[in-house]
Amino acid sequence: MANYFNTLPLREQLNQLGVCEFMENSEFADGVNALKGKKIVIVGCGAQGLNQGLNLRDSGLDVSYALRKEAIEGKRDSWKNATSNNFKVGTYEELIPTADLVVNLTPDKQHTAVVNAIMPFMKQGSTLLYSHGFNIVEEGMQIRKDITVIMVAPKSPGSEVRSEYLRGFGVPTLIAVHPENDPEGKGLAQAKAYCVGTGGHRAGVLRSSFVAEVKSDLMGEQTILCGLLQTGSILSFDKMIEKGIDPGYASKLVQYGVEVITEALKHGGVSGMMDRLSNPAKIKAFKISEELKDIMRPLFQKHQDDIMSGEFSKTMMEDWANGDANLLKWRAETGETAFEKTPAGDVKIGEQEYFDNYLLMVAFIRAGVELAFETMVEAGIKAESAYYESLHETPLIANTIARKKLFEMNRVISDTAEYGCYLFDQACKPLLADFMKTVDTDLVGKNYNEGKDGSVDNAELVAINEVLREHPVEIVGRKLRKAMTAMKAIKTV
Amino acid sequence: MERGFRGEAMKQPVVHIRHLNLKYKNNVVLKDLNWTINRGDNWLLNGISGSGKTSLAKIIAGQQSAVGEIDINFDTTSKLPARVLYVESWYQFKNLEGVANFYYQQRYTNLQFKETLTVKAELKLFGKENNLDFTEAEVLIDALGYSGQRDSQLIELSSGEHKKLQLIKALWLKPQLLIIDQPYTGLDVNSRKVLNRLLDEAAAEGVTLILISNDEHAPSAINRFALLEGTLVEVASAEELQLEADQPLREIPGFLKVPPNYSSDHIVKMVNINISYGEKQVLKNINWEVNKGEKWLLQGHNGSGKSTLLSLLNGDHPQAYTDGLYLFGKPRGSGESIWDIKQRIGLISPEFHWYFDSSSTVWQSIASGLYDNFGLTLELPYSKAQKVDELVAYFGLTDIKNEILGTLPLGKQRLTLLARTIIKDPELLILDEPCQGLDQQQTRYFNQLVDELCSNGMTLIYVGHYESALPDTLEKRIVLEKGTVKIIEDINVPETEPADFQQVN
Ligand SMILES: NC(=O)c1ccc[n+]([C@@H]2O[C@H](COP(=O)([O-])OP(=O)(O)OC[C@H]3O[C@@H](n4cnc5c(N)ncnc54)[C@H](OP(=O)(O)O)[C@@H]3O)[C@@H](O)[C@H]2O)c1
Repeated sequence: MANYFNTLPLREQLNQLGVCEFMENSEFADGVNALKGKKIVIVGCGAQGLNQGLNLRDSGLDVSYALRKEAIEGKRDSWKNATSNNFKVGTYEELIPTADLVVNLTPDKQHTAVVNAIMPFMKQGSTLLYSHGFNIVEEGMQIRKDITVIMVAPKSPGSEVRSEYLRGFGVPTLIAVHPENDPEGKGLAQAKAYCVGTGGHRAGVLRSSFVAEVKSDLMGEQTILCGLLQTGSILSFDKMIEKGIDPGYASKLVQYGVEVITEALKHGGVSGMMDRLSNPAKIKAFKISEELKDIMRPLFQKHQDDIMSGEFSKTMMEDWANGDANLLKWRAETGETAFEKTPAGDVKIGEQEYFDNYLLMVAFIRAGVELAFETMVEAGIKAESAYYESLHETPLIANTIARKKLFEMNRVISDTAEYGCYLFDQACKPLLADFMKTVDTDLVGKNYNEGKDGSVDNAELVAINEVLREHPVEIVGRKLRKAMTAMKAIKTV
Repeated sequence: MERGFRGEAMKQPVVHIRHLNLKYKNNVVLKDLNWTINRGDNWLLNGISGSGKTSLAKIIAGQQSAVGEIDINFDTTSKLPARVLYVESWYQFKNLEGVANFYYQQRYTNLQFKETLTVKAELKLFGKENNLDFTEAEVLIDALGYSGQRDSQLIELSSGEHKKLQLIKALWLKPQLLIIDQPYTGLDVNSRKVLNRLLDEAAAEGVTLILISNDEHAPSAINRFALLEGTLVEVASAEELQLEADQPLREIPGFLKVPPNYSSDHIVKMVNINISYGEKQVLKNINWEVNKGEKWLLQGHNGSGKSTLLSLLNGDHPQAYTDGLYLFGKPRGSGESIWDIKQRIGLISPEFHWYFDSSSTVWQSIASGLYDNFGLTLELPYSKAQKVDELVAYFGLTDIKNEILGTLPLGKQRLTLLARTIIKDPELLILDEPCQGLDQQQTRYFNQLVDELCSNGMTLIYVGHYESALPDTLEKRIVLEKGTVKIIEDINVPETEPADFQQVN
């Protein structure tokens, strides 16, 4: 199978990369009707599978799970997840032929095998749904021409998809119809209904394309979302140990720090996060983040280039064919880092202290968010997509680190994200070696403001504030966040 | 604030407070308060909502500051830890770091990956941190009837069970000064008696107690009584701590005088309902019918399955998709969404309160009940905004309607949530221990409101433990025991839990 994106002429590549439209609330007025009474069969019951299914059923839709034989016979976790929550479970042979909509929520690397196994059972004119376009775009999977192929991709981990739904909201979601597979023209209506069923319509929906979703999603997760959080956390911890900070304190600062710091992004974007610092600290964080942007830009660009050319997916699939040799090695290494092995100490760290004593992470986050956004936009991805894949998702991923450190983050994210995260981490650490030599405990571990009188140059501060606020990620972010909160109050289901 | 710790002398009072002053916004809460707690004294303290009981406790425990002087004198010769421990009236599990992202229905969802510690692991950790002997905890666990919870995940505990866990920790640690805010809330009759015995034992070993409660059945070790009214007014006995109900009842808003718009005569029907988590069965063969307009009391020990039962009704339980469950006349899972169900139900429970987003104002929180979401940002149409205003006035919340919910005393927060519950004039009102954490006076007022609100023919299911804490309108009772229906009967006068309940253990 050929990489779908690479088979397209440039004109069409740009055309599909540029699909990006923020959908009005009124477009969801039909609720779940397009799927009401239809049989929805989800393949796979993991992080996304279980939580999307719970939401769909709670929205009044008919949901069951088709699992592979081994999972049913071995009563694996996926089988337990589904049956213990009172879902009907069956084999492909039993359930797929009855399905109007088949939802593929297995790990991305398995998609070719899974789709080949289920396609013969799918009825004429049914629909196949993905939550990530990897299989279609990177592997060029060909789907039978009578089948409609759509995507509904929630921009958050599965647990969040569920918790936000139950709070009466949802998570921002990308939807798309594969242009090669929309024989009856019903794809968009079904994608919208599915999106309502999962609650996504209450948080902002982008009409996207398979291509745009894949190329931006891979970029975000490899760089700012997972890769940089991992690198930044490990380097910060090691620096504190090197400089004699108490290991329990260091471990706690790093584990919970990213969550507290990135929480500020949710409300006020990058400038909101920087505003949590004192004036001198903000100026310092700004300067080191500028330096970090210069150092890391080529690496961000390399990741984006490899994603665009298909090089990334090729190497990842090769590693998989090789028994996941690199993936398993890197996973083991991550589990063995000093940060991972040092338990958080029993010390109280106040909310503001996480900012004041962890300036380095604030700088990492500003640099990473802006770089990821800039690099995506330069590559032809639209600002709205780039915002969701960078700034928006950062606090959600940071939350997983707070729960159980990097192990938890890598468990929750998808297999492609995990591989890309390690790839970035491997390259980024050596790249930052010289920079890290210049870092002392005033940036990580101790209060930066200590012993300073707080005076700053007015003109400099004004200029910095301006740069922060006028960055394109801030401009599009203000618009999207406003749309999201306005939507929170409107109930359409 | 001056805060001193001295280690030397047995002759010194345990706590010596001089000229303590505290203001909240523009109100004086504590005014030049003086208090001497001598060794051998164990105090019972009460005061109206907003009198600063909780603040005073937190100030002594060093968790809040104020103007004035406090000396705490620990006994250096004692084996007991030289510590002040404060047990909150209403424990917010959410406060644990790193688990803030739970949602309240999560404990009903079967997830293979375990996210929180078990009770036993949590206690082991606590014991290790404080050098305690685990066999002593075992004794407390058995005494308080907590053995069944040993292997439960923290997330699976109900609020009453969380409270017990906090009490077990406190009684195990035996700090030299132990302050418990509303020790009895959420505990059933039997647990209350056991708790009193354990508190007496702790006092005999040298723990100084301060209990904040107006319960007449305090442990016998309690020998001093005081009312907090800006300063401390000492009284002779627990009976004198009872406060007069002073809240006038207002005219009920017009839109609540209209009966709810019922679509079916049958509200709930359960036929042989079973619910289990893995091996653990929490509900067994439940058969129960609730018809329109009926007023039910639901009772049972902590952990008897009450909250699971209610979660089936409110669309919060994934295992509700099963044969034999009918809501509002329709089998569950016949195309209705949970939002359709919630639109007909008003619910509050301690767990719901835990997870409610308390960063909105009182007004916004009430308005959000119209949409079954948490908090609200959009402007409401005039007719709906007016309903919110009417309710705010009826519940006496006008003065604080623009205050952030989370900054208010517990009683006001509960009134706000009750108002939120009622705003859509629901067919079914579910009040699951709505008065947990409230004192008796607040409870009485709250229940009077419930009586009034239900007089339009609304259907009610009310969970409550004690006779004083029940509204008069209740007419039928269902009692659960270990996940089965023990009693279904008519009640004319609400009683305490049946006599045989008190003999358990
Ligand atoms: N995780 C995220 O944050 C996230 C966010 C948005 C979109 N997505 C997308 O959602 C999809 C699912 O990801 P996930 O993270 O939910 O995966 P996951 O948690 O790893 O779950 C995968 C499920 O698929 C089953 N499975 C694995 N290999 C299989 C095979 N060869 N044949 C059949 N079933 C198989 C597994 O069950 P058994 O092994 O028991 O059979 C398991 O239930 C992916 O396309 C991903 O890109 C994920």
